[in-house]
Amino acid sequence: MTMEQLLSDTATALAAIRQQDLPQLQQPLDWQSKYRLLMQLGKKLPAIPEKMRQNEWLVRGCESRAWLLHYHDNTVGKHYFVLDSEARIVKGLLAIMLSFVNGLSQQELKQLDLQRAFDALNLKPYLSQSRSNGLNAMLNHIRHCLNE
Amino acid sequence: MSDFNAAAFRQHFPFFAAQPDWIYLDNAATTHKPFAVLETLDHFYRQQNSNVHRGAHKLSQMATILYEEARSCIQQYVNAAEPAEIIFTSGTTAALNQLAFGLMHTVLKPGDRILISALEHHANIVSWQLHCQRFGVILDVIPLDSQLQLDQSAFEQLLTLHPKVVSLTQVSNALGTVLPLASMLQAAKAAGAITVVDGAQGIVWDKPDLQQLAADFYCFSGHKLYGPTGIGVLYGKRALLERLTPLLGGGEMIEQVSFSHSSFNHLPARLEAGTPHIAGALGLAAAIRFISQFDVSQIKSYKRLLLKTFHDGLQHIPGIVVLSPWQDNAGIVTLNLQGEHSADVATLLNEQRIAVRAGRHCAMPLFDLMATAGAVRFAFAPYNQISEVEQCLKALTQAAEILAS
Ligand SMILES: Cc1ncc(COP(=O)(O)O)c(C=O)c1O
Repeated sequence: MTMEQLLSDTATALAAIRQQDLPQLQQPLDWQSKYRLLMQLGKKLPAIPEKMRQNEWLVRGCESRAWLLHYHDNTVGKHYFVLDSEARIVKGLLAIMLSFVNGLSQQELKQLDLQRAFDALNLKPYLSQSRSNGLNAMLNHIRHCLNE
Repeated sequence: MSDFNAAAFRQHFPFFAAQPDWIYLDNAATTHKPFAVLETLDHFYRQQNSNVHRGAHKLSQMATILYEEARSCIQQYVNAAEPAEIIFTSGTTAALNQLAFGLMHTVLKPGDRILISALEHHANIVSWQLHCQRFGVILDVIPLDSQLQLDQSAFEQLLTLHPKVVSLTQVSNALGTVLPLASMLQAAKAAGAITVVDGAQGIVWDKPDLQQLAADFYCFSGHKLYGPTGIGVLYGKRALLERLTPLLGGGEMIEQVSFSHSSFNHLPARLEAGTPHIAGALGLAAAIRFISQFDVSQIKSYKRLLLKTFHDGLQHIPGIVVLSPWQDNAGIVTLNLQGEHSADVATLLNEQRIAVRAGRHCAMPLFDLMATAGAVRFAFAPYNQISEVEQCLKALTQAAEILAS
């Protein structure tokens, strides 16, 4: 699996998530179905192969381990990411976050109101637990990538 | 069956009425507080508040008397030889750090060895490790056998290296394993070591008799024994406490200070620099008086009943992998669902208002040895009810179903 392949599989998966899963999440669902949906959605993102799960990509500050690869397309000034987590629910939440973030420019990323975006999906509580589930750590890590 | 009345015991804890939706099984992290403790804290700050050992005034003298009474209460509970052997600290972590620091400067020499076990909490690893390199001291670890028990023949072997210090947990916070301390400490003493017990989890399992147990030092935290946070105890035999270099310097711990030299005060003040957590000490004594009303062996058998209920229920949930031993277990069960990450299991339990902890439980080296990324920990206390265990099993079944779908 090459980085190019991962980036393109991620983009395809995120398009499907935006189209199919996010609208579903906005429907009234019992909590069990919500978690099932989150896990299905996480499964759509490609897995980062074991040999690419290096320490330098490890996102610190999560109960479970997560990895983030970053690619900056200089020609168009946009940022692309690939991420994976060993916990499935976390991966679902991270996938949703990535669906808002992937392919934005630095300026757009700075203006993004993730709180609002999660609210709109009735996922506010998950963002507020973000310290433990790693959303927060991932977001800090993404900001860190932008500043490099 | 036990005669322990768990429902009546639970009535002492206002937390459960305040949070009726929750099932609290994170008792190895911290326990709830009975009225007796809360009222003691409140009463002290409202009506007795003054600093200890300082004022010429009557109020300070009263506070000092209460503080020293708290020390005596703890001394009697653990059966220490005298109150001065009870040093108040902020908790187990602070006690172990004082101990490691104090011994490194006096007793330990370059090339000396310290022996700990593979079941230790980070507090009983890192506090030694911090100094090992600088002082040229070597840290050895008693390995686990295939049953995840400490390998006793390896322990005997390691004792032949004549460790100066043997520091062991009484109960594994990650697995609930109760160590065979009595025999291990005797063997360590026979090999000439100073013996240290991390009693953070052990103090709630068994009432220690420190004149019986071959422990030179014993540390514990108040908050795991129904007492306040921020208070704990470093117990030590007087002769050894006197050899410890104080970790903290400041008020009350000295006899004479000039800018070139200070001479230290007597025990226990020598190791209690600064204003102590006075209310905390009183609160801890209140917790000990509270728990003393109940029979330890009855509480133990009630905890075994909770464990048995949990054990039997787990048999009906497919894919459960239990890491904890069922024999000699202090009431902590750590497990995984086959193929699932502990964080996911804990998330789904949290959603059902079951408070547990997931991860590596401040015992990363142990989880490395078990080649496990983490696990979910269910830690039971005597205020937990059989019905809560059943509820928890249902929630776990539900979690397993969601993860399997
Ligand atoms: C075995 C053991 N040792 C030490 C500690 C540290 O206790 P504290 O955080 O109260 O200092 C704990 C607490 O989790 C523990 O379980």
